[in-house]
Amino acid sequence: MPDLNLIVAAFTSPENIGTTPASMMWMFPLLAAIAAVYKANKLRVLFWNVFIREAGILFLFLGGFMILAIAVMNLVVWLITQ
Amino acid sequence: MAFRTKTDYLLWLVVVGLAGWVIPGGGHFLIRQPRRGVIIFLAVSLTFGLGLYVGSIGVIDSIGGWAWYLAQMLATPAVRIFDSMARGDAYPTMGRSCDMGQIYTAVAGLLNLLSILSAVFMAYAGRGELIGREEDDA
Repeated sequence: MPDLNLIVAAFTSPENIGTTPASMMWMFPLLAAIAAVYKANKLRVLFWNVFIREAGILFLFLGGFMILAIAVMNLVVWLITQ
Repeated sequence: MAFRTKTDYLLWLVVVGLAGWVIPGGGHFLIRQPRRGVIIFLAVSLTFGLGLYVGSIGVIDSIGGWAWYLAQMLATPAVRIFDSMARGDAYPTMGRSCDMGQIYTAVAGLLNLLSILSAVFMAYAGRGELIGREEDDA
Protein backbone atom coordinates (compact mmCIF):
# COMPACT_ATOMS: atom_id res chain seq x y z
CA MET A 1 0.00 0.00 0.00
CA PRO A 2 2.75 2.57 0.67
CA ASP A 3 3.85 2.16 -2.97
CA LEU A 4 0.33 2.84 -4.18
CA ASN A 5 0.17 5.94 -2.02
CA LEU A 6 3.40 7.20 -3.56
CA ILE A 7 2.04 6.63 -7.06
CA VAL A 8 -1.18 8.49 -6.25
CA ALA A 9 0.81 11.28 -4.59
CA ALA A 10 2.76 11.79 -7.85
CA PHE A 11 -0.48 13.01 -9.44
CA THR A 12 -1.21 15.59 -6.77
CA SER A 13 1.74 17.95 -7.27
CA PRO A 14 2.91 19.41 -10.58
CA GLU A 15 6.27 18.61 -12.11
CA ASN A 16 8.76 21.41 -12.63
CA ILE A 17 9.00 22.33 -16.31
CA GLY A 18 11.21 25.28 -17.11
CA THR A 19 11.18 27.60 -20.09
CA THR A 20 14.32 26.08 -21.55
CA PRO A 21 14.76 24.77 -25.10
CA ALA A 22 14.87 21.25 -23.63
CA SER A 23 11.25 21.64 -22.50
CA MET A 24 10.25 21.47 -26.17
CA MET A 25 10.99 17.75 -25.93
CA TRP A 26 7.60 17.43 -24.23
CA MET A 27 5.95 17.70 -27.63
CA PHE A 28 7.24 14.31 -28.77
CA PRO A 29 5.04 12.06 -26.56
CA LEU A 30 2.04 14.08 -27.69
CA LEU A 31 3.00 13.75 -31.36
CA ALA A 32 3.48 10.00 -30.90
CA ALA A 33 -0.03 9.68 -29.41
CA ILE A 34 -1.55 11.76 -32.20
CA ALA A 35 0.21 9.68 -34.87
CA ALA A 36 -0.83 6.37 -33.25
CA VAL A 37 -4.50 7.28 -32.77
CA TYR A 38 -4.81 8.87 -36.21
CA LYS A 39 -3.35 5.85 -37.97
CA ALA A 40 -5.34 3.40 -35.81
CA ASN A 41 -8.51 5.08 -37.07
CA LYS A 42 -7.35 5.82 -40.59
CA LEU A 43 -6.00 2.45 -41.79
CA ARG A 44 -8.71 0.44 -43.50
CA VAL A 45 -7.24 -2.90 -42.43
CA LEU A 46 -4.94 -2.84 -39.43
CA PHE A 47 -1.85 -5.02 -39.65
CA TRP A 48 0.79 -4.43 -36.99
CA ASN A 49 3.74 -4.01 -39.34
CA VAL A 50 1.87 -1.57 -41.60
CA PHE A 51 0.53 0.34 -38.59
CA ILE A 52 3.97 0.72 -36.99
CA ARG A 53 5.51 1.88 -40.28
CA GLU A 54 2.71 4.35 -41.10
CA ALA A 55 2.54 5.76 -37.55
CA GLY A 56 6.34 6.08 -37.45
CA ILE A 57 6.41 7.98 -40.73
CA LEU A 58 3.64 10.31 -39.55
CA PHE A 59 5.45 10.86 -36.23
CA LEU A 60 8.69 11.75 -38.04
CA PHE A 61 6.82 14.05 -40.42
CA LEU A 62 5.04 15.87 -37.59
CA GLY A 63 8.24 16.09 -35.53
CA GLY A 64 10.20 17.41 -38.50
CA PHE A 65 7.54 20.02 -39.25
CA MET A 66 7.51 21.19 -35.63
CA ILE A 67 11.32 21.45 -35.52
CA LEU A 68 11.25 23.41 -38.78
CA ALA A 69 8.56 25.72 -37.38
CA ILE A 70 10.65 26.29 -34.24
CA ALA A 71 13.73 27.09 -36.33
CA VAL A 72 11.83 29.52 -38.59
CA MET A 73 10.20 31.33 -35.66
CA ASN A 74 13.55 31.62 -33.87
CA LEU A 75 15.07 33.02 -37.06
CA VAL A 76 12.28 35.57 -37.43
CA VAL A 77 12.69 36.70 -33.81
CA TRP A 78 16.45 36.90 -34.25
CA LEU A 79 16.05 39.03 -37.40
CA ILE A 80 13.55 41.36 -35.72
CA THR A 81 15.66 41.86 -32.61
CA GLN A 82 18.90 42.50 -34.53
CA MET B 1 -25.13 -8.24 -37.01
CA ALA B 2 -28.80 -8.34 -38.05
CA PHE B 3 -31.04 -5.68 -36.51
CA ARG B 4 -34.76 -6.25 -36.17
CA THR B 5 -35.74 -2.59 -36.32
CA LYS B 6 -34.20 0.75 -37.17
CA THR B 7 -34.41 1.62 -33.47
CA ASP B 8 -32.20 -1.35 -32.60
CA TYR B 9 -29.70 -0.17 -35.17
CA LEU B 10 -29.64 3.40 -33.82
CA LEU B 11 -29.39 2.06 -30.27
CA TRP B 12 -26.38 -0.03 -31.31
CA LEU B 13 -24.65 3.09 -32.68
CA VAL B 14 -25.34 4.93 -29.41
CA VAL B 15 -23.98 1.99 -27.38
CA VAL B 16 -20.80 1.92 -29.49
CA GLY B 17 -20.33 5.67 -29.01
CA LEU B 18 -20.94 5.49 -25.25
CA ALA B 19 -18.58 2.51 -24.86
CA GLY B 20 -15.87 4.51 -26.63
CA TRP B 21 -16.44 7.41 -24.26
CA VAL B 22 -16.56 5.41 -21.02
CA ILE B 23 -13.44 3.38 -21.91
CA PRO B 24 -11.24 4.79 -24.67
CA GLY B 25 -11.20 2.21 -27.46
CA GLY B 26 -14.22 0.38 -26.01
CA GLY B 27 -16.34 1.13 -29.06
CA HIS B 28 -13.81 -0.58 -31.31
CA PHE B 29 -13.87 -3.68 -29.09
CA LEU B 30 -17.65 -3.86 -29.51
CA ILE B 31 -17.40 -3.79 -33.29
CA ARG B 32 -14.70 -6.49 -33.21
CA GLN B 33 -11.73 -4.27 -33.93
CA PRO B 34 -9.63 -5.21 -30.88
CA ARG B 35 -6.28 -4.06 -32.27
CA ARG B 36 -7.59 -0.56 -32.88
CA GLY B 37 -9.18 -0.65 -29.43
CA VAL B 38 -5.91 -1.57 -27.71
CA ILE B 39 -3.94 1.12 -29.55
CA ILE B 40 -6.53 3.80 -28.81
CA PHE B 41 -6.86 2.75 -25.17
CA LEU B 42 -3.11 2.87 -24.58
CA ALA B 43 -2.54 6.11 -26.49
CA VAL B 44 -5.43 8.05 -24.92
CA SER B 45 -4.88 6.68 -21.39
CA LEU B 46 -1.13 7.29 -21.40
CA THR B 47 -1.53 10.81 -22.84
CA PHE B 48 -4.19 11.67 -20.27
CA GLY B 49 -2.19 10.09 -17.44
CA LEU B 50 0.97 11.93 -18.48
CA GLY B 51 -0.99 15.19 -18.47
CA LEU B 52 -2.20 14.53 -14.93
CA TYR B 53 1.31 13.55 -13.83
CA VAL B 54 2.90 16.70 -15.28
CA GLY B 55 0.29 19.20 -14.11
CA SER B 56 -1.36 17.28 -11.22
CA ILE B 57 -5.11 16.73 -11.06
CA GLY B 58 -5.41 20.49 -10.50
CA VAL B 59 -5.38 20.90 -14.31
CA ILE B 60 -8.97 19.63 -14.30
CA ASP B 61 -10.95 22.71 -13.36
CA SER B 62 -14.53 22.99 -14.57
CA ILE B 63 -14.82 26.58 -13.34
CA GLY B 64 -11.48 28.31 -13.94
CA GLY B 65 -10.61 26.32 -17.04
CA TRP B 66 -14.03 25.34 -18.40
CA ALA B 67 -12.96 25.38 -22.05
CA TRP B 68 -10.17 22.88 -21.29
CA TYR B 69 -12.61 20.92 -19.18
CA LEU B 70 -14.96 20.42 -22.13
CA ALA B 71 -12.14 18.78 -24.11
CA GLN B 72 -10.94 16.80 -21.06
CA MET B 73 -14.44 15.40 -20.50
CA LEU B 74 -14.27 13.75 -23.93
CA ALA B 75 -11.52 11.42 -22.68
CA THR B 76 -13.69 9.67 -20.09
CA PRO B 77 -16.58 10.54 -17.74
CA ALA B 78 -14.19 9.82 -14.83
CA VAL B 79 -12.92 13.39 -15.38
CA ARG B 80 -16.00 14.50 -13.44
CA ILE B 81 -14.66 12.62 -10.39
CA PHE B 82 -11.23 14.24 -10.73
CA ASP B 83 -12.93 17.63 -11.00
CA SER B 84 -14.82 17.11 -7.73
CA MET B 85 -11.56 15.98 -6.05
CA ALA B 86 -9.64 19.03 -7.26
CA ARG B 87 -12.38 21.57 -6.50
CA GLY B 88 -11.59 24.52 -4.25
CA ASP B 89 -7.89 24.83 -5.08
CA ALA B 90 -7.15 21.54 -3.32
CA TYR B 91 -4.30 20.87 -5.75
CA PRO B 92 -3.07 24.24 -7.04
CA THR B 93 -1.07 24.22 -10.26
CA MET B 94 0.24 27.06 -12.40
CA GLY B 95 2.82 28.07 -14.96
CA ARG B 96 4.31 25.81 -17.59
CA SER B 97 3.35 22.60 -15.81
CA CYS B 98 -0.30 23.64 -15.78
CA ASP B 99 -0.19 24.55 -19.49
CA MET B 100 1.45 21.26 -20.38
CA GLY B 101 -0.99 19.25 -18.27
CA GLN B 102 -3.99 21.01 -19.80
CA ILE B 103 -2.69 20.51 -23.34
CA TYR B 104 -1.99 16.80 -22.77
CA THR B 105 -5.33 16.04 -21.11
CA ALA B 106 -7.34 18.10 -23.62
CA VAL B 107 -5.60 16.53 -26.62
CA ALA B 108 -6.28 13.08 -25.11
CA GLY B 109 -9.97 14.02 -25.00
CA LEU B 110 -9.98 15.25 -28.59
CA LEU B 111 -8.19 12.10 -29.77
CA ASN B 112 -10.88 10.06 -28.02
CA LEU B 113 -13.58 12.11 -29.78
CA LEU B 114 -11.94 11.21 -33.10
CA SER B 115 -11.93 7.54 -32.05
CA ILE B 116 -15.58 7.63 -30.92
CA LEU B 117 -16.66 9.11 -34.26
CA SER B 118 -14.53 6.54 -36.09
CA ALA B 119 -16.06 3.63 -34.11
CA VAL B 120 -19.61 4.89 -34.68
CA PHE B 121 -18.96 5.33 -38.39
CA MET B 122 -17.47 1.83 -38.65
CA ALA B 123 -20.52 0.42 -36.85
CA TYR B 124 -22.79 2.42 -39.18
CA ALA B 125 -20.98 1.13 -42.26
CA GLY B 126 -20.81 -2.44 -40.93
CA ARG B 127 -17.04 -2.48 -41.24
CA GLY B 128 -16.61 -4.21 -37.91
CA GLU B 129 -18.26 -7.30 -39.34
CA LEU B 130 -16.23 -7.44 -42.53
CA ILE B 131 -12.81 -6.32 -41.43
CA GLY B 132 -13.03 -7.76 -37.94
CA ARG B 133 -12.76 -11.29 -39.32
CA GLU B 134 -10.05 -10.24 -41.71
CA GLU B 135 -8.01 -8.88 -38.80
CA ASP B 136 -8.44 -12.07 -36.84
CA ASP B 137 -7.14 -14.12 -39.76
CA ALA B 138 -4.02 -11.96 -40.15
